[in-house]
This record gives sequence, C-alpha cells and structure tokens, in this order.
Amino acid sequence: MTEASATLVDSGPSALGRLMAPVSAGVNDIAGLFRLLGRTLTLISQGKREQGALLEQMYIIGNRSLVFMCITMGFIGAIITFQSAVQSQRLLPDLTMLGATFIKLLVRDMAASLGAMPLATRVGAGIAAEIGSMVVTDQVDALRMCAADPVDYLVVPRFIAATIMGTAVLIIAGAVAILSGMVIANGVFDVNFHTYLNFSMVTLGDVGLGVTKMVAFCAAIAIISAQRGLSTFGGSEGVGTATTRAVVGSSFAIIVLNFFISGLGYFFVPS
Amino acid sequence: MIRVQDLSVSFRSPVLDGVNLHAPPASILALVGPGASGKSVLLKSVAGLLRPDRGDVFVDGVSLADKDEPGLAEVRKGIGMLFQNYALFDYLTVGENVAFPLRRLFDLPEEEIQARVSERLERVSLPGFEDRIPRSLSGGQKKRVGIARATVARAPILLYDDPTAGLDPVTSQKIYDLIKGEQREQRGCVVMISSDVAGVLTIADRVAMLHRGKLVFEGSADEAKTSVDPLVRQFIHGLVEGPL
Repeated sequence: MTEASATLVDSGPSALGRLMAPVSAGVNDIAGLFRLLGRTLTLISQGKREQGALLEQMYIIGNRSLVFMCITMGFIGAIITFQSAVQSQRLLPDLTMLGATFIKLLVRDMAASLGAMPLATRVGAGIAAEIGSMVVTDQVDALRMCAADPVDYLVVPRFIAATIMGTAVLIIAGAVAILSGMVIANGVFDVNFHTYLNFSMVTLGDVGLGVTKMVAFCAAIAIISAQRGLSTFGGSEGVGTATTRAVVGSSFAIIVLNFFISGLGYFFVPS
Repeated sequence: MIRVQDLSVSFRSPVLDGVNLHAPPASILALVGPGASGKSVLLKSVAGLLRPDRGDVFVDGVSLADKDEPGLAEVRKGIGMLFQNYALFDYLTVGENVAFPLRRLFDLPEEEIQARVSERLERVSLPGFEDRIPRSLSGGQKKRVGIARATVARAPILLYDDPTAGLDPVTSQKIYDLIKGEQREQRGCVVMISSDVAGVLTIADRVAMLHRGKLVFEGSADEAKTSVDPLVRQFIHGLVEGPL
C-alpha cells in the first residue's frame, strides 16, 4: 500500500465520524430531552414535593415575567395593527374588520408563537442559568448525596410552574396586544373601540388551539432549558453556553411545534 | 470499608486509569497528588456520583457498578460528603442547609432536626448561625457549614474534598482538629483530599498519591514521609527539583 492510499484509508473512518458526529449528538440530545420529559411527567405524580417550592417557582416565573411580557406584546400588537392597517388600506379603504382579523390571528396563533419567543429568553434563560450554576458548583451532586433526585427537586417544580404561569402570562400579554392594537387603530386610523373589539370571528376551536400552543410552548421551554442546565459543564463559561443553548433550543422548538400544531389545527380546527 | 478496584474514568481523555485502593474502617485516608491528577473524580466515583468506564467501587462490600440511581441513593445514606467549593444551597439558610440531609434521608420530628442542627453548628464553632445565608459567610465559615452538613446524618463514611483549600493556617488546623475529633468519636472511615500535604499528614493514618490518573503510592503517613520514590518524595516534601 502506498503512503497516499494508506492516508486515505486512515482518514476515511475519522472523516465519516466527523461528518456523523453532529447528527449523532443531535439524536442523543433529542433522546435526552424525551427521557427528561418522561421522567418529569412520571415524577409529577410520584415525586416528593418540597413544601412551597412550586409556589416559589410560580412567583418567579409568572410574576417576574409579567411586566416584561406585557410591554413586549403591547409593542408587538401595536406594530402588527399599524402594518396591517397600512397594507389593507392599499387594497380596500375599509378597516371595519381590522380588529376582528387581528384578534382571530392573535388568539389562534400569535399570542402563543410571538409571545413564547420573549418568554423563552426570560424564563428559559433563567431556568438554564439557575440549574447550570448549581451543577458547576456541585450543588446538584450535593442534592444527590442527600437522596434528592435533581429532576424531582429542580425540574418538576419549574416545569409545572412554567407551564401554568407561562400560559397565564401569554394569555394576559395577548390581551395587552389586543388593547395596544386597539389604541393604535383608534388613534392613527380612527377605528372606534367597539368596531375594533370584534370577537365574532373567534371560535371555541381557535381558543382551544391557541391555548394548546401556549401550553406546549411553555412546557417545551421548561424542559429544554432544564435539560441544558443539567448538562452544563465547565464553570461560569459553561453556564453562559447552557443559557444560550436553552434560548436557541427553546426558540427552535417553538417554531417546530407551531408548525405541527398548526398543521393539526388546520385539519381538526378549521379556520 | 471502601475498596476501589481497577477503576478507570475518562471524559474526553482518561482521568483515572486502573486505580486500586483500600480505605479501612476507623481510619483517615489522605488522597494527595498534583492538580488534575484525578483526586476529585476518584472521590466522586466513591460516592457513586460518577459512573466509571471500567472497574468498581465497593462500599461496605456493596458494589456500586450494578446499582441504579435509587440503589446508589441507598448506599449514599451511609456517606457524608464535603465538596471542594462547599456546594451550599445558596437559596437556603445555614440552618436549612445543615438540616437538608436529615429532612431528605430520615423521617425525624422537627424538634430533633433543630436540636441536631444546633449541635452541629456549635460543634463547628458557628453557634447561632442558623438564620444566616451562605453568601454572607467567609470561606472558612462556609467550609465549616459544609462539614456540619456532611456530618449531621452521622454517616460512617465521610468524604472531604480539600477541606482546607484557601484557608489560613490557623483555620486549617482547626478544621483538621474537627475532622480528627469527629472521626475518633464516630470510629468512621474518612477519605480526604488535601493540597496541604504537611497539614494532612498530621492527622492521616494512610496516604494515597495519584499522578496523572494512576495510583503511584499507598501506605502509612510515615511511609509517605520516608518514601524514596522520586515522585512521592518530591511531592510530599515540596521539592522544586524532581520528575513532577
């Protein structure tokens, strides 16, 4: 065998290995997420509840996100209403259905999908940083030394709190988006409040679909961020990386979940 | 009491390579060695916090290799551990930190928990510190709270990861006296990592030295002091010239 062919033979498996490494890591990552989700759901019914832990997490996740989310969604509602009105005026100088279509869109999708993104930055980053810093300072190992399962002790209360309070915050922030849109519609385009607040196009199915998305997105944010936190390594730099990965992973999951839930909604809850 | 058998652990590269070690009951084993020699990894493996690639750890004759997490949790009930950077729960008070193992491991009445917490804090010279929060404490105080938490469940095996790191000589000696006193009372097995070789040799019954993931010495404290092995000699006596 010549030197050149030996090099080719030697570099083959490592090149393939390098190519497959991200795929393999991605598959392991997703498998890890589902394992953590399964374990969390099991421990919700079987785990040992720490007194007050759930309420504390509900306060941290809900209360502390509310103002940020309301302001963010307020601006988003105002921007979308303004742009929708400008665009629709080019086609038809009639804005009587501006509020009705915006509210339907918001209830069915946008309150959940647009709201979940900033929520991921606030809640997801918080969960990943908190659990990640506990990992790198050996606090998670100290929990295990005391027979406290880190998933039961750290993940379960955050998962429940994020799902319940995240959904509640998204509903409230969605309402703020409607109100800010109404103010813009009235102030800029002279659409009166009564005309704007038109819920006639919103069906129970739309509400169900919107709330399903909110619950799914909030649960995804919690579980992905917790998993990123638990897999932290390498000191404070590792915590930073885990936080970034939590936000990126949560945002990606929101988009993918939205695609599939919207697809199911198209068939089962027609618009 | 603790037997480590052919233990190998690797992360991206090998950290421990075929380590065999024995820590008898009622003794203090000092685990020494240069930085990044695998001491903390060995201690965590003994506690069942890390899964080895090869080999096994036996705690009181019980193999950790075939235990799942609930099984390991059972074994860990007999082990108290002080972590290198204290690992105090920063969202709990000092009293709640010390009480944590009692609340999780045993079903004790609250009065007994409080009594044992007060007794432990008094023992580590921190009486009345129950309501303080960890971040308001000095490094030495945090170490002592960590020792109180590690010993509150009266576990027969205690693992200390560098209990005197970063402490002044007086505080270090106080901590050594505390560890020795506790071990004499409990007749327990202590495995202690220390970078303060001179200090730890004053209380250790046996010494094990790791270098690049391998056990290079195991013997009594006197044997460690008089060893002619160039690695051991240089490290124990802190010599500049040598193979390290």
